[in-house]
Amino acid sequence: METDIREINLQQPAEFEQWRQFLAGLGIANFTANEVDPVDETIGIFVGNQLVATGSSSENVLKYIGVSHTADGNGAYFNQIVSTLLTNLGQRGIFHVFVFTKPQYSASFQHVGFQEIVHSDSAAFLETGPTSINDYLAAIPKVAGPSSAIVMNANPFTRGHRYLVEEAAKQSQHVYVFVVSTDKSLFNTQERFEMVQAGTADLPNVDVVAGGDYLVSYATFPAYFLKTDKNRVRYQTTIDALIFKERIAPALTIKTRYLGTEPQSETTNVYNEVLEKVLPPTVQVKIIPRKQTDGKVISARDVRMAIKDDRLADLSALVPETTATFITNHKATLQERIRKGMKIDGN
Amino acid sequence: MEIKQTAMDGTLESSDIQITVSKGTNGVQIDLTSDVQERFGAEIKQTIAAVVADFGLENVNVKAVDQGALDCVIKARTITALQRALGTNAEPAWEVL
Repeated sequence: METDIREINLQQPAEFEQWRQFLAGLGIANFTANEVDPVDETIGIFVGNQLVATGSSSENVLKYIGVSHTADGNGAYFNQIVSTLLTNLGQRGIFHVFVFTKPQYSASFQHVGFQEIVHSDSAAFLETGPTSINDYLAAIPKVAGPSSAIVMNANPFTRGHRYLVEEAAKQSQHVYVFVVSTDKSLFNTQERFEMVQAGTADLPNVDVVAGGDYLVSYATFPAYFLKTDKNRVRYQTTIDALIFKERIAPALTIKTRYLGTEPQSETTNVYNEVLEKVLPPTVQVKIIPRKQTDGKVISARDVRMAIKDDRLADLSALVPETTATFITNHKATLQERIRKGMKIDGN
Repeated sequence: MEIKQTAMDGTLESSDIQITVSKGTNGVQIDLTSDVQERFGAEIKQTIAAVVADFGLENVNVKAVDQGALDCVIKARTITALQRALGTNAEPAWEVL
């Protein structure tokens, strides 16, 4: 029987149904729009009309890899699927590629050049390409003695973020502030990084560093950037927390992670709960109550709303002067992004 | 000559090798994954290193994922990946062939 490899169009109901049934038969069960819609490409190997292997990619993440156990005696279909996806991504300039998979498939991915970053009881997270987490860690400035860490998206950097950094800096010898690198927020990655740098420049024991692909990134934690259900968040945050605990903290001698309470975001709340459960005793977790102004917590979302509604006079209560200056200077660009449909009501 | 961009050639299928080359700062670094690493790892790396040397490159990172490729395949894949990375794939590399 002739074998061919071709694209599967998930927008076509018949093709979607064949694909879904094939994967469901392999125990893959999540076909919600949140998971399926971000998929950029799906390919399948067919013997006649029968699907025997499939795989998809979403940005730099491989998803929905499934191979019929009976048809794939020596892993040939698996290798062909992964190989084709990597070649296609390479043609779009994407060489650093991640995969979430079940722990029992980690070895198959390692066999085709992936390296495992971490695994939990229910999932493994691997990467391949010209750079790795070791290169990322090597590029971060090292300091002697214990450090603390804060991870923030800072969309934008508010007085609340500033308060959290200040408290951590008072209580610690040295603080790393990791700024989330995924570019899916109103303020782009470079803008957020610059605002955090400007807003903490007066604190000598604070280093601002990029979170890269390893901290609350689209690869490790897509649920942060998509509206999604609680269980999904819990599962993904566990991987994110493990990367921090097992790879990042030991390399940078981070002993404490500071978190802010988050009364307004369900996702961040679940994330905080998971961090408290996973990180200790390797990394101590300290929770700092949210800073309030006039009896109300400071929220980056309120800042974004003020920009949308052109209420810049309200900003000084919410953001440090450095951020206010940045917003005033870039008001037109930011409002244009909102008009063009950038979502601003998220975390 | 200098690597302009990351580039890849080859597949993960049986008897092939997938070569990814990218900018390096620390000499010629070859990272090899292979089932036959123990018996043939040194030879595979040597074949790749020889091609890199023919191109006159001093700093480059090579990631090689081998599925039992023959020497000539390793050489061909490395040449193509390097030419793509150098932006010279329109012209044959006579001096290397």
